[in-house]
Amino acid sequence: MFKLLLKKNVSPHFSKLREVPLFADLTHRELGIIHELLHEREYVKDEIVFDEGEEGQAIYFLFSGKVLICRQGRPVDGAIAELPNGQFFGELALLDNSPRSAQVRAAEDCTIGVLFREDFLTLLETHVTVASKISLQLSRHIGKRLREAIHRYVL
Amino acid sequence: MEKDSSSPGPITWCGIIATTCVLLFLLQKILWLVVPFFLALVLYYLLDPFAKKMVLSGHTHNFAATTLSGIFFLVTINVLLFLYPMVLSHIDGWQDTMSRYMAGGYSLVDSIVKNFEQQFSFARNAHMADSMRVSVTSLQDNFAQRYLGTLIFTIAAWLPSLLLVPLVSYFLLKESNHFRQFLGQAVPNAFFEKILFLSHAIDRAARLYFVGLIKLAALDTLMLIASFWMLGFPAPIFLGVAAGILSQVPYVGPLIGLVLALLVSGTDFPGDVGMAYNVAILFGAIRLLDDFVFIPAVVGKSLNLHPLLSILMLFVGGTIAGVSGLMLTLPILGIVMLLGETLEIILTDRRLMARHAYAVQLRKLAAKRDLILPN
Repeated sequence: MFKLLLKKNVSPHFSKLREVPLFADLTHRELGIIHELLHEREYVKDEIVFDEGEEGQAIYFLFSGKVLICRQGRPVDGAIAELPNGQFFGELALLDNSPRSAQVRAAEDCTIGVLFREDFLTLLETHVTVASKISLQLSRHIGKRLREAIHRYVL
Repeated sequence: MEKDSSSPGPITWCGIIATTCVLLFLLQKILWLVVPFFLALVLYYLLDPFAKKMVLSGHTHNFAATTLSGIFFLVTINVLLFLYPMVLSHIDGWQDTMSRYMAGGYSLVDSIVKNFEQQFSFARNAHMADSMRVSVTSLQDNFAQRYLGTLIFTIAAWLPSLLLVPLVSYFLLKESNHFRQFLGQAVPNAFFEKILFLSHAIDRAARLYFVGLIKLAALDTLMLIASFWMLGFPAPIFLGVAAGILSQVPYVGPLIGLVLALLVSGTDFPGDVGMAYNVAILFGAIRLLDDFVFIPAVVGKSLNLHPLLSILMLFVGGTIAGVSGLMLTLPILGIVMLLGETLEIILTDRRLMARHAYAVQLRKLAAKRDLILPN
């Protein structure tokens, strides 16, 4: 409880926020607003971040370490992608509460920032510019993934 | 987390009700802290939309919290400073006014009871009017001696803790995000999303409940002011505001409001028993509107409680913690219900429990990764 009353120090991961593509257009002050809403979590190697089929409530930003995206319970033969730090995952949870499409595990010890959907929705009310910049980047990201998926399907 | 589709099981419900009762019992021991916190929550949810508007117009969160809490604090202090000399200069006059209204109220009840005695012989035989006269005379003679000192002492004792209200609401406005981050740090990774969802659900329910209460008080006050004005009461705004605020205390509040209005009716409309009946019908109609239209519309949806359970728990809360119990039962029950639902979901989710146990093992192994004894 005393920790809450002490003056808050800026997290060492604050500068990492700028590396996240979703926050590319944000100013320093706007990044500060996002930082106030983020929850920092520490994961050890092999720890599960979320399961496939679980209801998504938040988007995750990788500040340090790597995560593995894979089919449920198949980290070796069901690997889909490995994300390095600076990347984000679980982004569809910002838009709806649909089930997670894959399992995510920590491939190394990692630090992850978590933005909850409710906080993002509040951001839409209170900081329209910040929320619209993030939404634009999110739309670009989803569009890119859609084009890649179509390309893979056609080929 | 599908909150709507998963209702708590019977064991969870027993736990929810028992926890609510224990909390009510414990909280009534620290009412000096609970009441300011309760009022601070009401103030927080009242000021929060303005804070959001200020943030939207480009101000920082801290500036909005400081400005709004500061304005509220200054207004309160100024009102108190303005009222204090006014109360001191008018206190003798008010004592006379109070005695006049007490006498007016007594004459109203006396005429109703006499009327009753004329109609029914059992009331005449029981000498209802005489025994009531003795009780009221005793109350009038000894009121100041018995209650006034205690009343003034209670107000003086409560004032310092009530000054906490703007301070607590300031920190709630300023630090709500940090408090949520702090809460999140205490939760293991496996349960993190569920607990964060819970904290948002509690915030949402509390916001709807407290904003609903404020809307309900405003609606009641407006209806009462309009009705008193139409009935030709003196000072309809003062009487309407007092009765409207009082009516937010379950069961006891509307009764006190009715008694106040009857005292005014008996004094300013002497001998007009019909006016007293009008006042009683007015309060009854507002009660019915509140219970069947406004409360389900603006407050009921927030806590999602069954009406029968709400009424039973209000009785239990009143028995355990008196008037404060009546005020606190529903919000506490609503919060404990959300906690109980979430705990049930977490504890019965074998996958989440297994993930947590797995993470604990991984952390133990990680802690001794480089601690290999040399051969």
